[in-house]
Amino acid sequence: MELLVLVWRNLTARLTRSLFTWLGIAVATASMVLFLSFGEGLRQALAAEMGNMGPQIRVVAQGTDAFSPPLPELPPEMLGQIEALAPELGIQKVIPAVVMFRGGFDPATSFLFYGLPEGADPRDFYPPARVAAGRIDPHPDGAVVGAKKAELNHLTLGKPLRLSREVTVPVVGVLEPAGSMVDSFIFVPMKTLQKVLGTRNYGVFLLQLDPSADVEEVARKLEAAIPGIDAQSTTEALKFAERALRIGDLIRFGISLVALVVGGLLVANTVMMSVYERTREFGVMRAIGARRRFIFGLVLSEALFLALAGGLAGVLAGILGSAAINLYTQQAVGLALSAVTPRLALFSMAIALVLGLAAGLLPARNASRIPVTEALGRI
Amino acid sequence: MLRARELSKRYRQGEAEITALDGFSYDFPPGATAVVGPSGSGKTTLLNLLAGFDRPTAGEVELAGVRIDTLDEDGRAGVRLAHAGFVFQSWNLLPTLTALENVAFPLLLAGVSRLERDRRARGLLERVGLASRADHRPNQLSGGEQQRVAIARALALEPTVLFADEPTGNLDSAAGARVLDLLLEHASGERRLVIVTHDLDIASRAERVLHLRDGRLVRVEDDAAI
Repeated sequence: MELLVLVWRNLTARLTRSLFTWLGIAVATASMVLFLSFGEGLRQALAAEMGNMGPQIRVVAQGTDAFSPPLPELPPEMLGQIEALAPELGIQKVIPAVVMFRGGFDPATSFLFYGLPEGADPRDFYPPARVAAGRIDPHPDGAVVGAKKAELNHLTLGKPLRLSREVTVPVVGVLEPAGSMVDSFIFVPMKTLQKVLGTRNYGVFLLQLDPSADVEEVARKLEAAIPGIDAQSTTEALKFAERALRIGDLIRFGISLVALVVGGLLVANTVMMSVYERTREFGVMRAIGARRRFIFGLVLSEALFLALAGGLAGVLAGILGSAAINLYTQQAVGLALSAVTPRLALFSMAIALVLGLAAGLLPARNASRIPVTEALGRI
Repeated sequence: MLRARELSKRYRQGEAEITALDGFSYDFPPGATAVVGPSGSGKTTLLNLLAGFDRPTAGEVELAGVRIDTLDEDGRAGVRLAHAGFVFQSWNLLPTLTALENVAFPLLLAGVSRLERDRRARGLLERVGLASRADHRPNQLSGGEQQRVAIARALALEPTVLFADEPTGNLDSAAGARVLDLLLEHASGERRLVIVTHDLDIASRAERVLHLRDGRLVRVEDDAAI
């Protein structure tokens, strides 16, 4: 009959009420876990993505952020400038590319075209890329489609793909699923894309460096040598993404806070009611010789126990919910967008506990301060 | 030892000041002492002060050699745990605990190990004739049985003073007699029993009777007088 047994008995003596409270905390915690799991999922997906990227630096027109499709704003002569600097800076390969994004709200109506120069194929962009059907090189006049894009839009070999009113190319290759953003890309020859966009410019230069080169240093030197460009390294892109994700995290946490506060009030209400009902019991305990601290600890433990049990159930529900979300996003965009990482699980448990603590303090204080004579009705 | 000196308790009730106890002095000898008097005579107030549930407005209380009137609530709780036991008229037991756990509760507060608690609590239940009811909750016990469990609990730490407030008030005569026997059995040697009652038959079983009226001790009868 330790303290925990007393706590357990008191909670089970009012089972329905305790269950509802537990459920409230569980739902609140689960909603927070789910909300925040998106940020964690995106972080993981991005890190994996960047790790698999072939090029270590992408050069874009100044002002283009790391995750927007770059506009074709880099003039053709810039390629020569970079190539001239290549030996000195340790750049092994410069791949100019053009990107075109046709957006829609539905993954099935969004298209990201990557125009690659002659001699380059999807493996230069994403080394693990493998072809499932047809050929991997879109040249001279075909399109190689990522696995998810092919599936969503029913693009099989030989099917025509209309890029504009004048330009239509046939599908000449379909890639194997890679569990990466590449699954949603369509690779076409660069000349074709330049024709569609009516430009001779490039959108981006993808640079592969010597293994010994210092990526950040090369990027800084390039920016100094050629005005009007941003040389973005993958680490930099991740940092940029992290900033964006943090803001997202804060907003999502703010939203889930509403649920959490409601959960906390539930616990406070349950424990407060149970304190009022048990005034006499506390009086008996005090009469026998229990100190205030004992009563305080007992009541606070009840709140903490409810919060802990609710938090655990919430994290478990969050993990299940996250798996369900991933089933959907993997099907829709080929990426697991939600992840319940250990730090997210721990953070959620900590929040649930703080909630229990905050909710239990006032009832615990009240319970421990009722005068013995009053509690026993002996005035 | 249990001793009161010039003990007074006054309450404010709105504009009026009520004197619940007025200059009570008495040195309780070992054995059973009954406190009798009509309603409002100050019996419950006296017990509250003697047991340290409340602090006097004036005067001193000494319980087991400690001046409890000067202690704070937790200090008095510590003295109670170590030296005093209580049996109230009703609502004595913790409803979510079994009879055995109720008896073991003071031992838990005193930091006695789990095994030892269990062993001693079983022995106490046996003493009050309830060994077979150890695992029953209070709501599964009769009034008399509940009161006997309360006595077993009050005796758990072998207190030097046992306080009882109308301990048989809610019981039929047979159950009441048994409860009273158990209480009196404890009041031997150096131990003291203070029993508050309005039932003169019960009071007559004590070795002395204190008569309260309007908060004052008006008469002390000892064995010879009864």
